[in-house]
Amino acid sequence: MKQFSKRLFAGATFAFMMSVSPLAFAATPNDQLVIGTSLAQVLSLDPQQGTEVKTQEILANVYDRLVSFDGATSELQPQLAESWEIDETGVTFHLRDTTFASGNPVTAADVVFSLTRLFKLDQSAAAGLKTFGYNKDTVETLVTAVDDKTVRIELTDSIVGEALLYRLSGGVGSVVDSVEVLKHVANDDYGNEWLRTNTAGSGPFTLRRWSPNDLVLLEANPTFWGGESALKRVLFRHVPESQAARLMLERGDIDIANALTAADVRFFDGKEGFVIDQVKTGGFYVLAMNAGHEALSNPLVRQAIAYGIDYEGIGQTILGPYGQARNVPVPADWEGAIENPDWSFQPEKAKELLAEAGYPNGFSLTIKTIAQAPRVDLATAIQANLAEIGINLSVQQGNGADIVAAHRARDFDLLLPQNSAADPTALGALDNFTNNPDNSLEANNAGNFVWRSAWDITEMNALRQEANRERDPVKRAELAVKLQEMFVASSPAVLPLFERFEPIVVNARVQGYSGHPWSLTRVNAVTKTDAN
Amino acid sequence: MKEFSVIELAKRVGQLLVSLFALLVVTFVIGRLLPTDPVGAIVGELADPATFAAMRARLGLDLPVYQQFWIYFTSLLQGDLGTAVLTGNPVVQDLSAAFPATLELATLAVIISTLLGVPLGMMAAFFRDSWIDKLVRVLSLVGHSIPVFWFGIVGLVIFYATLNWVGGPGRVDVYLEGLVEPKTGLLLIDSLLAGDTEVFWNAVYHIILPACILAYSAMAYITRMTRSFTLEQLNQDYVIAARAKGASNWRIVSGHLLPNIAVQLITVLAIAYGGLLEGAVVTEVVFSWPGIGQYMTNALMIGDMNAVVAATLIIGIIFMVLNFLSDLAYLLLDPRTREATT
Repeated sequence: MKQFSKRLFAGATFAFMMSVSPLAFAATPNDQLVIGTSLAQVLSLDPQQGTEVKTQEILANVYDRLVSFDGATSELQPQLAESWEIDETGVTFHLRDTTFASGNPVTAADVVFSLTRLFKLDQSAAAGLKTFGYNKDTVETLVTAVDDKTVRIELTDSIVGEALLYRLSGGVGSVVDSVEVLKHVANDDYGNEWLRTNTAGSGPFTLRRWSPNDLVLLEANPTFWGGESALKRVLFRHVPESQAARLMLERGDIDIANALTAADVRFFDGKEGFVIDQVKTGGFYVLAMNAGHEALSNPLVRQAIAYGIDYEGIGQTILGPYGQARNVPVPADWEGAIENPDWSFQPEKAKELLAEAGYPNGFSLTIKTIAQAPRVDLATAIQANLAEIGINLSVQQGNGADIVAAHRARDFDLLLPQNSAADPTALGALDNFTNNPDNSLEANNAGNFVWRSAWDITEMNALRQEANRERDPVKRAELAVKLQEMFVASSPAVLPLFERFEPIVVNARVQGYSGHPWSLTRVNAVTKTDAN
Repeated sequence: MKEFSVIELAKRVGQLLVSLFALLVVTFVIGRLLPTDPVGAIVGELADPATFAAMRARLGLDLPVYQQFWIYFTSLLQGDLGTAVLTGNPVVQDLSAAFPATLELATLAVIISTLLGVPLGMMAAFFRDSWIDKLVRVLSLVGHSIPVFWFGIVGLVIFYATLNWVGGPGRVDVYLEGLVEPKTGLLLIDSLLAGDTEVFWNAVYHIILPACILAYSAMAYITRMTRSFTLEQLNQDYVIAARAKGASNWRIVSGHLLPNIAVQLITVLAIAYGGLLEGAVVTEVVFSWPGIGQYMTNALMIGDMNAVVAATLIIGIIFMVLNFLSDLAYLLLDPRTREATT
């Protein structure tokens, strides 16, 4: 009897499960946005630490910054600061009356704490402001709370107010809930260990779950000052394989894919129901040449290389939606950008230049790159191009840690890094390319791109500093043009190859999603229509 | 008899521990000698050298390798595998989240491959050189030689994107994520425990394709081995005698053949199972499966050696334990091995 009832129970359970088995699976619900991405590099959600691109979109939705900038127009907009005034010596911010998701009020002390921890942690995230003299020693005097709702940031003599605002509008400028974070400080780490995997912000969403290499799940913050979002949940799904992501997007299992290969992006070109958004990051794919190498220290050789690469061909065949040819470090459609020089694939001219430099028979070099699309293909294409002018390259691939370490240690001949604009202005874009205060080995300024290439640019560095502190916008613009011309004339050892785009493909059901140049895309205003 | 078993068991356990220690030393040393460390991934590539050095010291990476090993080994004995740079969590916590996903996938795959592979192998042997045999041989050759990656993508294109028979990458549809609290980490079991049939069926719908694809590659091996074991036995006198006595094919298989090849089969299945746990790496990437393979790949990419060493150890332990168990099965199932070792 016992046996019988067991079987009966099992049978009934099975029948029940079969009857409720939802064999018709629905598309993503309208109140959930699902983003297929790669979370492999998302190692920290601490806004004063995590600088990786895919991290930024998560931070942008969980935290508020003082100000933000519009991705399309680059116009500065209020965020946590309702308003601000720029005067001769500094910027005064007036904070909005709101609370963090924890319920704690947002105060000037939180802003001061956040910026202080940025410089005290002193990681990559702080680099953009350190150039201008904000650092762990000066932050306490430069950033102060005037009263509960007013913050004052003094200008150093090397920056203007607008540039300061732009740099604060990045993910690193996120304001954290100091009351919450201070509860979790261990070993003077400013709460870093805790904030890596937890969040304490005032943005439109809160972090519900982060399971590394799998999923980041955000939930709407009902107390957000901008009103509650139409989306209840935002999910970042780790889909490392591009073809799998493409199929999921096609099927409607994800709404947005932002880590597709060029071929998979092209698949959606003109396809009904999908929109390709080619987000211009303002950054570049770069060919770094080590000017400490005997041949590469010769500007004629560097010029020969500049004439030895088929930018247009590579741009079309390899980069596709990921970039476009450009050798001036300011994106072509930005205000104040100069015309591209005549650097194009001219092997005869390149050979002449090499002969003039004393290398009529060419020579051999290595080129190092991260083993990642599109850079590996870029390396092999450059290898084929330069072979035609007599420079034989051997390609060395490595993981991110290896290649970056080699770059920092000046341990390379040629290397293919990528960078981002420090702010969305011509001078911001030039920052990475014209900044090297001290080229000596002892300076060990390994965070600096130009120093890594051992490229001595004393004059250009001085001009950049002059331009950065110039308060008159017209003169500033003129200096920015002069800086670009000087850059081109110097046969750069840090050679911009392609403007860097981040193509994203969006299901047409999604309304109001437009990719931000720094991936700081806020989704609280996004809505979704019914699936067909 | 009992006394012998205890000694034998102790000897095997001893061997297991020595092998594990060797695995630990090799993995650790290779990990530390590689010119890669996770510091750049943590502090970011634009940080100053001083920040790099401070972080290196905080992680203990500035100490000599033998000292690092000693610290690692002593904490390991206390069950502490260190902290993963990749996630900021204790490695043990990460592995206990990632491993069940792989275990669930590999177990289902080994069940499918056994249920199909053993009968197919036997049929091929019984009908040697017939069309059945040829078909089975082609099937296993294909399964053995075409990369799982390719099968994964093609499987997704056909069964997911075109026919809509199965779910896409991931363990469940994304809107069902986070609805079931992990108890065992095995989603199929957790969802049943929670009584959430929607999640259960969705999980079935998602696991079936990767499990079948993994199963197919393992099945190739199981089928080939079963075929050759069976062929060997078919020529034995006891089979001929059974045939002469008029036993049916079914009787021969169940009463005579299976018990005789069971021991060998168990070894093959154990190896296949171990191989599936370890070989799930590629499948996990294609199917966005948050298992140990994907965890290890990403850890390796940023030079997070705590995570890599721990994941290697876990896989190593499983392999060795499976081997150990199949050896034990030998001892239990086959009296000849006992006599031979005395």
